[in-house]
Amino acid sequence: MSAVSFVKIGQNRLKQAILDSLDLIHFSFPRNVENVVIKPNMCYYWDYSTGQTTDPRFVGALIDLLREQISPNIDISIVEADASAMKCKHAFRLLGYEKLSRDYNVKLVNLSEDKTTPIEVTVNNQPFRLRMPNTIQSADLKINATKIKYSLERIKITCALKNVFGCNPYPKKFRYHPKLEEMIVALNKAMRFDLCLVDGGIVSGIQPRRLGLVIASTDPVAIDAAAAKIAKVNPKKIRYIRLATKEGLGNLSFVEKGIPLSYFRDRYPKKDVRTILVSRAYNLAIRMKLGKKLGLE
Amino acid sequence: MSLKKLRVGIIGLGHMGKIHMQNSLKLENTSLIAVSDVSKKALKDARDAGVKNTFDDYEQLLKNPEIDAVIIALPTYLHLQCAMRAAEEGKHVLLEKPIARNVQEAHEIIAAAQRHSIKLMIGYPLRFSPTFRDFKEKLQSGTLGDVEIASAINISNGPFTHRMQDYAPIPVSEWWFSKELSGGGTLIDLGSHMLNLLRWYFGEITDIKSHFGYRFNLDLEDTATCLAKFQTGTLGIISVGWFSQTTSIQVELFGTVNHLKTQPHTSNPILTATKMLTIGSSQFSTSYMAELRNFVNCVICDFSPSPTGKDGLKDMEAISLAYKNQISLAATNDSGFRSSNS
Repeated sequence: MSAVSFVKIGQNRLKQAILDSLDLIHFSFPRNVENVVIKPNMCYYWDYSTGQTTDPRFVGALIDLLREQISPNIDISIVEADASAMKCKHAFRLLGYEKLSRDYNVKLVNLSEDKTTPIEVTVNNQPFRLRMPNTIQSADLKINATKIKYSLERIKITCALKNVFGCNPYPKKFRYHPKLEEMIVALNKAMRFDLCLVDGGIVSGIQPRRLGLVIASTDPVAIDAAAAKIAKVNPKKIRYIRLATKEGLGNLSFVEKGIPLSYFRDRYPKKDVRTILVSRAYNLAIRMKLGKKLGLE
Repeated sequence: MSLKKLRVGIIGLGHMGKIHMQNSLKLENTSLIAVSDVSKKALKDARDAGVKNTFDDYEQLLKNPEIDAVIIALPTYLHLQCAMRAAEEGKHVLLEKPIARNVQEAHEIIAAAQRHSIKLMIGYPLRFSPTFRDFKEKLQSGTLGDVEIASAINISNGPFTHRMQDYAPIPVSEWWFSKELSGGGTLIDLGSHMLNLLRWYFGEITDIKSHFGYRFNLDLEDTATCLAKFQTGTLGIISVGWFSQTTSIQVELFGTVNHLKTQPHTSNPILTATKMLTIGSSQFSTSYMAELRNFVNCVICDFSPSPTGKDGLKDMEAISLAYKNQISLAATNDSGFRSSNS
């Protein structure tokens, strides 16, 4: 069974919290590492305060830790790909990553502009043709620095597995939405990350909330299952988590380390029944093409 | 001019252009002859909505002799070129705010309108909002006494509003990120609305100072607060920003006798939908329609439309002065971030 650690961030002790979360799962950085890739979660141009995007300070603390524990000279790349409405060149700047890049001397890589190698992955006995960015392929250590986000859409939870969807270099990602679950799993099978860390400083639910949480695991399925439980969603009811388990990406069951998960679950800003009903009515109106008539679009 | 119906063309089918298109198709004394845009999809949508003539080059639209007036809803950097060409072709112009990127361009547009004897109106929909017209009436009637302080707030995501079309997210147009193309940030974008409104209430601005914020590390300000002194002696505090997922437009007038305050407006889609179902239209769709109706009626009846090109110029002069008269405040930290993980 995989281990998942839960740590509360102390006053200005972000780096220590990340370190504690790694110690709890007995993870230590390998010594023979030259290239590290960090994949934060970026969402449109919504900054860290919304709970939608990994806080650049979280990534900064992680970079400090990597340089202390491995070598001050390791090559670190922060990666993201263009999306349907988000351009990396603007997101890096607006969300504070350009400044981070200058302050910490790390590279910012737009995977949509990276060289790629075609690969094929099978999910549910269906072949998926993908493009593997060279920066990810050549990395010695890949770290998924993600968020916990709960939404009323079919995907329900965004955490480690969904964050890898953002490594797909093809920008028009909405075109994958009919097979979103399969695509998430396919990308995770193609690009296996060595470590998953959740920046739960601010989490996104019915509204953002300062939860002051760090989660760590080497198992993306286990960390997603933990995130789902924090957001009070049964992970077995999330199709891409079930599919990822079936495809051998990890375990739904996990051992809790550190502060009990229930502490954070009780504080997570879950959507209430009224919001869920109103949101469903809203989505129904949009699907029935009543959005413009009702002034919703 | 003795027209029963004004024959209009719309140049630019972005967010504002689409609103004008829908309203032009509904307005009884308006006939929408043609639209132009560089997007094939936008033109197809226009044809689907019932527009017969669609062009990917606005020159073709301007050369159409059947068109009396055009609505220009292009990016700001194209206002000068397009408005000048429209004037040369003798088309009356409803030009989206801001009039232009700077004072010089505004002067050129006004001069072209005068040279070719066309009517020029600048699109400031707040002037047509029932709430803000009610404020104007109360100010004129004297029920507030002398207004010493006026606060005008317009906070939203600005160009970073996550818009969808047919389930596909719409990217932010590149010109918004360029100071050269947009003329400025939130002050020129949202501040122009609020400055125009307060000028309408309190007369010309005699002095203005400003403070800008750059949360998103752009060359453009994403937050602006201005202190403006008006001819009437009123002190205006104008606060605008592109930093919030929630839209908020609020005006408060503090008079020696009474105070006036707008009801909070937010972009809650459920509230908007409820209003649409119960009242039939939202505050803002009413304002856009009233704005268009005013322009059309003025052209048909040969009246001078308001807000005029000169209004747009005065707003631009105030904005230009605000960019010049910046106040520095000591920074609290150099990271640009508030403490969140503590």
